[in-house]
Amino acid sequence: MNKKSIFFKDSAFKYLVGGASMVVVGFFAMIFVMLAIRSYPSIVNDPLMVFGSTWDVNSGIFGGLPAIMGTLASSAIAVAFAIPISLGMSVFFTEYAPRRVRAALSVVIDIMATIPSVIFGIWGLWIIAPLVKNYVQEPIIGSIGFIPLFSGPAYGLSLFLASLVLTFMIVPIISSLTISLLSSTPAELREAMISLGATRWEVVRHVALPFSKLGIFAAIILALGRALGETMAVTMVIGNSFMWPFSSVSLFSPASTITSKIASELYEAVDMLHVSSLIELGLILLVITLTVNFSARLIITRISRRGATQ
Amino acid sequence: MRLISRRSKEKLIIAALVALTGAAVIPLLWIVASIVWNGVSVMSIEFLTSLPAPFGSTGGGIGNAIVGTLIINLFASGLGIPLGILTGIYLSEYAYDSKMGSAVRTVVESLSGVPSIVIGLFAFTLIVLTFRHYTGIAATLALGIMMIPLVAKATEESMRVVSNDLREAGMALGIPKYNITTRIVLSMAKGGVISGALLAFARISGETAPLLFTALFSFYWPTGINQPIATLQVLIYNYAISGFADWVAKAWGASLLLVLVVIAINVAVRTLGRKKYGGA
Amino acid sequence: MATKLVTEKLSAWFGKKQVLKDVSIAFEERQVTALVGPSGCGKSTFIRCLNRMHELNPGARVDGKVFLDGLDIYGMDPMEVRRKIGMVFQKPNPFPNMSISDNVVAGIRLSGDARKSDLDEIVERTLKSVGLYDEVKEDLKRSGASLSGGQQQRLCIARALAMQPEVILMDEPTSSLDPASTSRIEELIRKLKSEITVIIITHNVGQAARISDKTAFLYLGELIEYNDTKAFFESPKSPITERYITGRFG
Repeated sequence: MNKKSIFFKDSAFKYLVGGASMVVVGFFAMIFVMLAIRSYPSIVNDPLMVFGSTWDVNSGIFGGLPAIMGTLASSAIAVAFAIPISLGMSVFFTEYAPRRVRAALSVVIDIMATIPSVIFGIWGLWIIAPLVKNYVQEPIIGSIGFIPLFSGPAYGLSLFLASLVLTFMIVPIISSLTISLLSSTPAELREAMISLGATRWEVVRHVALPFSKLGIFAAIILALGRALGETMAVTMVIGNSFMWPFSSVSLFSPASTITSKIASELYEAVDMLHVSSLIELGLILLVITLTVNFSARLIITRISRRGATQ
Repeated sequence: MRLISRRSKEKLIIAALVALTGAAVIPLLWIVASIVWNGVSVMSIEFLTSLPAPFGSTGGGIGNAIVGTLIINLFASGLGIPLGILTGIYLSEYAYDSKMGSAVRTVVESLSGVPSIVIGLFAFTLIVLTFRHYTGIAATLALGIMMIPLVAKATEESMRVVSNDLREAGMALGIPKYNITTRIVLSMAKGGVISGALLAFARISGETAPLLFTALFSFYWPTGINQPIATLQVLIYNYAISGFADWVAKAWGASLLLVLVVIAINVAVRTLGRKKYGGA
Repeated sequence: MATKLVTEKLSAWFGKKQVLKDVSIAFEERQVTALVGPSGCGKSTFIRCLNRMHELNPGARVDGKVFLDGLDIYGMDPMEVRRKIGMVFQKPNPFPNMSISDNVVAGIRLSGDARKSDLDEIVERTLKSVGLYDEVKEDLKRSGASLSGGQQQRLCIARALAMQPEVILMDEPTSSLDPASTSRIEELIRKLKSEITVIIITHNVGQAARISDKTAFLYLGELIEYNDTKAFFESPKSPITERYITGRFG
């Protein structure tokens, strides 16, 4: 047998896998580089313009603040909605649900996580929007509409609707992680509480939830990262208007997000400054989501290290 | 007195938990029901195989979009699956606990957290802006990159669970490392790698945002990967927001097809996976 | 009798911890040498230095020399060394993704040495030499993992023998097997020495006495005593050896 050819194949394979990894790292780095290069015209034109409050394509003014705030607000509201739903479902799943129900629920969570965003969008646009308009927005505006946050008119497509649809999209993320955390609560801690005569809920409240606190927090941050970058469903139901938050602060007002702006304007943008401003918004989104995801990862690493020393 | 209040508190809590679970489950059932309800009525052979009718007239179908999604997915898989597998092999077998390995692992995990629209923007800036032309190639690049972290993670994880005894057995026989890696470890991890690749394929089949300004859309059969290409995903978006009743109905039909494919792949992977690993 | 494998002042470390201290020993050709000693005494590390497997552990370091027929194996290609010095492990580890016959020729095939035509013949000859052929000849295409523990271990010995090594290292090859399988393997080892040099670790002094020609006793990383097996057991020179073989410490 040829010793040289084996040595050659062995090192060739090593360089192949190492090289492929470097290509992947290269793609990641190039995302930043390309977005930065193409944002350059907008940055030199006016470095602060992207933080302005007016977006007017015809006058060449591209202030992205409403979109940035819309991104943050829709995600924050969605996370706020999703926390009780996910925690409630997870506690029900791990502590109360019979085996069959549990099996069914885990199928539901899996399927929810795989339904494409654009499907949530068509459902939100054609099924949920009219219902929200008639049965949520109009009654609330009719009763407490004098509060600016809930003022009219009822459009259907709104910041509220986008947050609601986002909620259903991030519930499976928080739930699946929370379920695995809750089910890994050490049995001896549980048994200690039970032997003291605690009810199931008391065991959850005083043992399982505190034990999983940090991990649940990480799951919530991960879900936030996902919500911030969500595009299709949000674009289809938020109304894409720069009214919010400077002309109207109402949750029921149409609004925009970074993603909805890029998705609905980039393919027809002709003005170079317009294209460049949209890319700059994308760069801002990239920095925000990576920071958020990175913090979640830091927490998860800390938890797994804690798990390793126990 | 106290015991009674604790018991009724427990009941109230169960009621609340069931209500919250319902709040998560009902929307899902609702989505699936509305897609089936609205989508079934437009399903037909003609719908699945013909070109869209000219604007304003009814009839026609989504054949070109189905072919377009398949073409773009296949090219994206050609980029993303090999790069993902090789990166996974590197992380599991060549750099598992080296500094370089953990740097690459961090990049791979960060890549999976980059919003799909940003990856689409990257392909747009690199290809569409450079060649001043909307093209399926840019879409392929974006979706291919999205597959990499999913496939790499699945590969690394399923190779790590292969017992180290087998690597040692291979080394003790004087088998070179590339053969231990590919013919023993990777061969044992095959099931997990294939599952990962299939799930990544399912995932990009639903991705829409990166296609909007790369593959764009077309009302004709695809003529080449370097042309604008219709896809199911973009068709759903364009038709759903058009407000034109016939198009909205077709968007529901396309949604039904897309959801069926995505769910079928997921179910298949899960049942196959259970069969394969359940006995071990 | 000629010496086959010689170590000179062989030392080994895991990180900062020294697990082997200046072990010098000469193994004789076509003899069975047993290595005994309490667990943690460095036996496994020692034989893993003999086929250059120790250095694969992160933080591991080796010092000293190992000569095979007078050539320093640390100056040779490690893969070449491992083809000449085979190894059988404590836990049977056939490749579960391969059939029985593919397991036997795995080393030949995957080290790029496939003379395709005679592979079937090698499978048959090697399986016969470990006494497995008659038991499995009907299902050579079945997975190697489907065999019983004792059969798996004989398959692993066959896999090592198929490479036609000059020395075979065995790390407690029977410790996970039942008594009947153990005695079959002991019988096989006695038969093997007509063609090959065998170095076997055992924690069972009775096994050492039954199958070996020479016995070495390692304690806390040092070689305490090395002698003909008969003399080793009948008149140990060191009081530590005597305490060990009479079972007075574990």
